[in-house]
Amino acid sequence: MEYLIWTGWTLLYTLVIIVGVLIAVAYYTYAERKVMGGMQRRQGPITVGPFGLLQPLADGLKLFSKETIIPSGANRVVFLLAPMMLFALSLIAWAVIPFDKGWVLANINVGILYLFAVSSMTVYGVIMAGWASNSRYAFLGGLRSASQMVSYEVSMGLIIVCVLLCTGSLNLMEIVEAPRPVWMQVLLFPMFIVFLISILAETNRAPFDLPEGESEITGGFMVEYSAMAFALFFLGEYSAMILMSAMTTILFLGGWLPPFGMAFLAFVPGIIWFAAKTLLVMFFFLWARATLPRFRYDQLMRLGWKVFLPLTLAWVILTAGILMSFDALPNMPAEAAVSQDALTQIEADTSDAAGLSETSGIEDIND
Amino acid sequence: MTDFNLIPLLPEIFLSLVGMGLLIVGVSQGNVSTRVICWSSAAGFVITGLILLGIGWETQTVLNGMFVMDKFAGFMKLLILTGLVAAVGLSVRYIIQEGMERFEYPILIIFAGIGMMIMVSANNLLTLYMGLELQSLSLYVLAAFHRNSMRSSEAGIKYFVLGALSSGMLLFGMSLIYGFTGSVDFTTIGATVNNLSAIPFGLTFGLVFVLAGLAFKISAVPFHMWTPDVYQGAPTSVTALFAIVPKIAAFGLLMRLLFEPFMGMSEQWVQIIYFIAVASMVVGAFAAIAQGNIKRLLAYSSIGNMGYALMGLVAGTAEGAGAVVLYLTIYMIMTAGVFAVVLSMRRQGMAVYKIKDLSGLSQTNPGLAYPLAILMFSMSGIPPAAGFFGKLVVFNAAVASGYYILAVIGVLSSVVAAFYYLRVVKVMFFDEPADAFDGGLPFARRAILFISVLFVLGFVIKPNIFVSSSFDAASVLFQG
Amino acid sequence: MIIQALAFYLFAGILVVSALMVISARNPVHSVLFLILGFFNSAGLFILLGAEFVAMIMVIVYVGAVAVLFLFVVMMLDISFADLRKGAMQYVPVGLAIGAVLLTELVMAYGVWAFAPDALANRGAPLIRFEGATNAESLGQVLYTDYVLAFQLAGLILFVAMVGAIVLTLRTRPGVRRQNVGEQHARKREDVLEIRKVTPGTGV
Repeated sequence: MEYLIWTGWTLLYTLVIIVGVLIAVAYYTYAERKVMGGMQRRQGPITVGPFGLLQPLADGLKLFSKETIIPSGANRVVFLLAPMMLFALSLIAWAVIPFDKGWVLANINVGILYLFAVSSMTVYGVIMAGWASNSRYAFLGGLRSASQMVSYEVSMGLIIVCVLLCTGSLNLMEIVEAPRPVWMQVLLFPMFIVFLISILAETNRAPFDLPEGESEITGGFMVEYSAMAFALFFLGEYSAMILMSAMTTILFLGGWLPPFGMAFLAFVPGIIWFAAKTLLVMFFFLWARATLPRFRYDQLMRLGWKVFLPLTLAWVILTAGILMSFDALPNMPAEAAVSQDALTQIEADTSDAAGLSETSGIEDIND
Repeated sequence: MTDFNLIPLLPEIFLSLVGMGLLIVGVSQGNVSTRVICWSSAAGFVITGLILLGIGWETQTVLNGMFVMDKFAGFMKLLILTGLVAAVGLSVRYIIQEGMERFEYPILIIFAGIGMMIMVSANNLLTLYMGLELQSLSLYVLAAFHRNSMRSSEAGIKYFVLGALSSGMLLFGMSLIYGFTGSVDFTTIGATVNNLSAIPFGLTFGLVFVLAGLAFKISAVPFHMWTPDVYQGAPTSVTALFAIVPKIAAFGLLMRLLFEPFMGMSEQWVQIIYFIAVASMVVGAFAAIAQGNIKRLLAYSSIGNMGYALMGLVAGTAEGAGAVVLYLTIYMIMTAGVFAVVLSMRRQGMAVYKIKDLSGLSQTNPGLAYPLAILMFSMSGIPPAAGFFGKLVVFNAAVASGYYILAVIGVLSSVVAAFYYLRVVKVMFFDEPADAFDGGLPFARRAILFISVLFVLGFVIKPNIFVSSSFDAASVLFQG
Repeated sequence: MIIQALAFYLFAGILVVSALMVISARNPVHSVLFLILGFFNSAGLFILLGAEFVAMIMVIVYVGAVAVLFLFVVMMLDISFADLRKGAMQYVPVGLAIGAVLLTELVMAYGVWAFAPDALANRGAPLIRFEGATNAESLGQVLYTDYVLAFQLAGLILFVAMVGAIVLTLRTRPGVRRQNVGEQHARKREDVLEIRKVTPGTGV
């Protein structure tokens, strides 16, 4: 019974997250058009609904009612699987995001790795779509995206390592709550900048939108898609952007905590802070798109491998070195003591195999 | 973490620093620096050898028992380093002549060398595997180093695919061993095996797979298929390296593995090694007869020689182990000399490899013909030469442990093998002279050839230097 | 737990099926996709074992990086895999024979299955100090202390692999024009621009 209730709650919570994310995605597209309109001295959508607020719904309805065209030379299964996979991946990542203290569907120990793993898998949706379309443009777009995402993942991983060094946990909640003195924030700030740029590349957004590259490869991997399949790509892409913003918030901006440790702001619910910070990063995505021209492909690769990779690698070493030399490694003293105790115990017991098998470590194996 | 003592690892650490440092030099200076880097790496090997002599060889295990330093490891490492110096010395002129003058060449040899040194010091299945892979990976690349040559690329691919297969078998065997003994540490495995009343079938199974993987690395029959093709296809200087050094490391590993943790299972492994030794000797002797290419001939010769060396393992005694070490020492020095000649077989700037090409060498180039003849006599085991004593101690050890049939097969196959070694001599001295080889033997080759011949002839005068030191080194394995 | 058993059979079943599909799929791209599915399910099995760190690393490294490159290469290669397969059938009897031998041996081994009596204690010995620690913590504790040698050697192996890949594939092609950002930035106005007074009718 208890189990059923638990399952029910989980399902409900999942539903809330999914619906929330989808609504956020819908209005993110609206915001994008408004923000870009503002930056380019246009108005953006204004006709559908008040201030054009119903525009996303109208767009969705339009895509939903159109015909899904599958090119005759396409590999049907993979062609249809690709957008579904991309969309599903962009949703399952939300399972570990803590929106507020304790507001998380699955509080797992390796949350950050889970996020990283899911985001690294999105490349398959793109590359599968590109290949299955049986079209030159689509294939080019798919290949571009594969190499681009793999390249930037490397530096993203190293940046995450920097943060983990400072927080001492892979759990997202603990990452948010780990104390961060000012010097640590200063230390991480350059990585924050690099991370912001990397997530642009990771989500294939301007100025790194070469996989789509409307003006050169006419839409890249999505060129053959229409109707709902196209809409799934769209939803997936924007959901991934929001996810990356949330990830940045958790890693660098302190999640649901009030900004700059201002305790008097603590009366505001955590989720508000979380949303505000995420929105800030989401705005950055739009800002970058409206401001910067597209990179050339070799420039993109140069930036990833010859600038970011050495920089982040050096920063990992620097961070580790600073933490070591100032004895500021998180979680260290307690752990060391524990293992030291256990060591002495082992040394006492080494010759006595029978004594060993009585301890609970062995019983675990017997099960 | 009680034994974080890096002193026994100093040679390896130094060598890897040399490798990385030279790589930086190479990258910044480009391929023109190849020659300098080659000689620097040779100097690096020599200094490493000096460090090795300086650190003291009393038995100690460090780093959580993963690495062991004892007289055996020290002696084998010294052999390896000597072989590496010879291999680099033989290569310099050759890689320039063949137009594959790239600075990575000596650097890959350095890393292969680190792998080999780790192999003979491995006291843990993990260290063993890591050392083996470090060595193999470097050698795969070296085999394909002449990348514009189809044959070289083919050799590299072949070696890589089969090498990966053998690594797979090795790992599978290790996982079984870990499963059945619960440890990857040699000392613990040894203790566990000795405590057993009956050997579990699965453990034998694992050991068989490990032996199969290692037999591949020493190119013993039935895992020898790659050897002739790789020897033939790889650039000759790399073939020289293959023939001289990796076998020593693989043997060092095999001996430590069999004599330390698995001594308690000698009943099981002796049968396998017995079979492998016999098959290697026979195949090595008979298959070589038909070869017209000197590199293929040397490949089969090395297969046969591994068979003789394995005979010492079958004996399973300290004398047997000592005989193996002595045999490997002699084999290494002879082979280095032979390859110094093979590398000099060039006409009009092109390398030639046919045995026929050697015809009448005694008239056109006696300076090469006489040393090669002496080395061939030694390889075939004609008495006053060093090769004879190598075979003698091995046969002796086998007989002492009661393996008479094995010794008889060994003697017979070495008689067969003598045929093709002496055929080379016959071609050189009694056939119509072919065109002369390009003149000009570089100093390094000349020196290696001289040392090799001097060793082969001089061994009989004071054999005890080598005999006692190699037996001394091997006896360490039987103390525990 | 019935759920765990179900999950195990689900993951294991899909893993076996996808492994089978990897070698039997006609289209090599499908093979790689099944391979990825296989990796994914083995990650699921790791989670069931409580090794969540290994599971995630499995997904990140194998699925997220290695298999992408596989897919990349397979898609780019213009090889008729049907032709490559043509001769494969003639090796089936040999393969089956070896498989049969191995299977018999495994069955025989299963018949007399026995661990060394010390095996359990041996395996348990390194675990005791990590009671209650998370995966990542315990792995970190042994990787950088007890197994530091293996760790460093793995680094050397990767280093050699990198050198090898460069040795075997990097060819400097003449006539390629590359962007040199440093040079571009260092360019001064005086280097490229010259102002001359030109009197009408004479030219430069």
